Amino acid sequence: MKRRAALVMAVAMLVGCQREQRDLRLDPPVAAALDQVAPTANGIGGAPPDVYVALGGPYESNAYNLGEGKRLYTWFNCKGCHADGGGASGPALMDGWWRYGADPVSLFVSLRDGRPNGMPAYRDKLTTEQIWQLVGYVQTIGMASATTAAPSRNDEMQSRPAENRAPAAADLPTPPSR
Amino acid sequence: MTGIPHDLRDTEVDRDTVERRLAETWRTRRGFWGAIATVDHKIIGRRYIVTAFVFLLLGGVLGLLMRWQLATPEGRALGPDLYNQVFTMHGANMMFLFAVPVMEAMAVYLVPLMVGTRNIAFPRLNAFSYWIYLAGGLLLWVAFALDMGPDIGWFGYVPLSGPQYAPGKRADIWAQMITFTEIAALAVAVEIVVTVFKQRAPGMTLDRIPLFVWAMLVTSFIVMLAMPAIMVGSTSLILDRLVGTHFFNPAEGGDVLLWQHLFWFFGHPEVYIIFLPATGMISSMLPAFVRRPVFGYLALVLSMVTIGILSFGLWVHHMFTTGLPRLGESFFTASSMAIAVPAGVQIFCWIATLWDGRPVFRTPFLFILAFFFTFVLGGMTGVMVASVPLDTQVHDTYFVVAHFHYVLIGGAVFPLLGAVYYWYPKIVGRMMSERLGRWVAGLIFVGFNLAFFPMHILGLQGMPRRVYTYQADLPWGPLNMFVSLSSLMLAAGFLLFFIDAVRSARSGPPAGDNPWDSPSLEWATTSPPPPYNFARIPVVTGPSPLWENRDELPVASGLRLDRREIVITSVADAVPEARESSPRDSLWPFWAALTTSVLLIGSIFSPWAVVWGSIPVAIALIGWFWPKGTPEDEA
Repeated sequence: MKRRAALVMAVAMLVGCQREQRDLRLDPPVAAALDQVAPTANGIGGAPPDVYVALGGPYESNAYNLGEGKRLYTWFNCKGCHADGGGASGPALMDGWWRYGADPVSLFVSLRDGRPNGMPAYRDKLTTEQIWQLVGYVQTIGMASATTAAPSRNDEMQSRPAENRAPAAADLPTPPSR
Repeated sequence: MTGIPHDLRDTEVDRDTVERRLAETWRTRRGFWGAIATVDHKIIGRRYIVTAFVFLLLGGVLGLLMRWQLATPEGRALGPDLYNQVFTMHGANMMFLFAVPVMEAMAVYLVPLMVGTRNIAFPRLNAFSYWIYLAGGLLLWVAFALDMGPDIGWFGYVPLSGPQYAPGKRADIWAQMITFTEIAALAVAVEIVVTVFKQRAPGMTLDRIPLFVWAMLVTSFIVMLAMPAIMVGSTSLILDRLVGTHFFNPAEGGDVLLWQHLFWFFGHPEVYIIFLPATGMISSMLPAFVRRPVFGYLALVLSMVTIGILSFGLWVHHMFTTGLPRLGESFFTASSMAIAVPAGVQIFCWIATLWDGRPVFRTPFLFILAFFFTFVLGGMTGVMVASVPLDTQVHDTYFVVAHFHYVLIGGAVFPLLGAVYYWYPKIVGRMMSERLGRWVAGLIFVGFNLAFFPMHILGLQGMPRRVYTYQADLPWGPLNMFVSLSSLMLAAGFLLFFIDAVRSARSGPPAGDNPWDSPSLEWATTSPPPPYNFARIPVVTGPSPLWENRDELPVASGLRLDRREIVITSVADAVPEARESSPRDSLWPFWAALTTSVLLIGSIFSPWAVVWGSIPVAIALIGWFWPKGTPEDEA
């Protein structure tokens, strides 16, 4: 009984820590290592850096990083092309249909190096950590089920349900076939 | 139970049998489940007090951590993120888990004894209240241990606490912890009002009620009127964050300032929820140490009621820098300064009491004297920050930090510590150490003033609140170091207090029924009191019953012994009206509190928890109110 309680406590602590931890200043070697993705030859898919795995993928499940990603999404005018995820001159992000892959490594490469037909490269504008934060956030836009770590609505006019009220995409038509 | 007539009254048997039968009827069963099921206001009050003091200890450690970090410029003890959590935890813990609950806890223990009844009204609600309070406290501290502690300040201003700027569950933990403590506080408030209005001993007319009881009555009404505002606020905040409503989103028609209005409409009366019980403690303790009844009973009661009413008319003075209309600012400046009048009346009544009395310098009295000095100083700075120009200048600086610690520690904690020394023998049956007590009073009084007075100067020099560090070229370093060192002295005083309290419980000298020769009813029974409080309900013939009836207290009789029974009296004149049953022990309040906690904590993570969680709550409540066929169920 006592051991089970301790186990539950330990799991809760791990989960709690993982979701709520705030690393305000990343260790410089870790930050440098986070850049070492190994994409496949066509730039879609590939292996994440070892340190990303070792950290436990904190950019997909950590509330603070997701919140920072959402802030960067506004600050770096991702809205200018992708709107609130519905798409404008750039493709939609909330329909769960990605031209250059939906996995973190593909998204990281998309953000860092840019993609043909308009997606600019952000490697000189964002730190590696910030790119990963954006990767995590962008994934929640297209998420099919709600997560308690996702950010909630912004204090502005609303065009779609908040990320933590996913799936926002349920209201949209099915993605176009290629 | 066999062989005893069904309707056994205390008039039919001798005194020994009365006490034996009452002890059997009112006792708490032994063992774990007996302890969980108890509805004895003394046991629950004791738990409440101990729990609140544990939270005081934890909150004090957080305060020391902050002083450690701020002792030197560019301190490295805490990072900015942890510091945010620590100052939020310190404030939220001290306000919601210590100050308000400890005052209500003292009332839960003392009010039934002081009005001469056998249990508090709605005793099962009382048990429920404690479990809810405990769950709220655990929620906050477990979250803090998991690095999920709130980091938004104890006031949780939007938009910083809102969905956009407070990611994760930290702000939700804070908002839901409020819900817990509000439920607990509202429950106790209802119990106290009913106890004071309907369960007073025969003859305890309105002008014979002990002043602590008056204070708790006024406080309970403030609780009932103020707490709903914060519950609306915290619920709206959770809805904004979790469901995506727009109460505080200006772009969709919400209002950011609405939060501050809701919060301070509760938050300012909250100060008086903490302060009024403390004044009641002063008024109730003073007679024992100056050997005369308190001067100006009517003036004291009326000033407490006045403070209670005025407390709802000055919340905006917390919002002077938000750009409100001038007329509003002027009105709230005037009303804020007006509250100095009833507070001053109280101070002068106490001075008059001292003037005419023959003081006995025991530890509780030392704390009363410490209260006078410190609280008056805090009151003075209060009048200063009530004026808009000065407030604009010192808003969000350490001047304000110094001010509210002077009124809260000086105005509430000093009387409370005095009250602990004073009522400890009643609760435990043993005296606390007089020698240590003098050290405690001295260390805390001197340490407090040395630690907090320089903060006034720091504030005037421009040091802002809630900063986790400051640069070396700013002129605040030496004073901050002095403050941090002095806080160690304050901490040493509190440590000594805790040591004394724990040690005296085992080895203090036995107290006897009335060690201070006090005039009020709680001293008319043994220390600690038996489960039924009074073998026969006392009849009150004057404002100081134990001084007026030195030989023997007149009593009322005719109550049943085979079930829990109390006397119901009229509101104004305390004329006996009826014999009423008092509920027996039950596990259901515990289950109801447990299921409610699951619902409230679950709702942080999913709104569906409200739907599914309500089912076990409903089952627990049905179990609670289902007639069990016990003698207490008879009309």
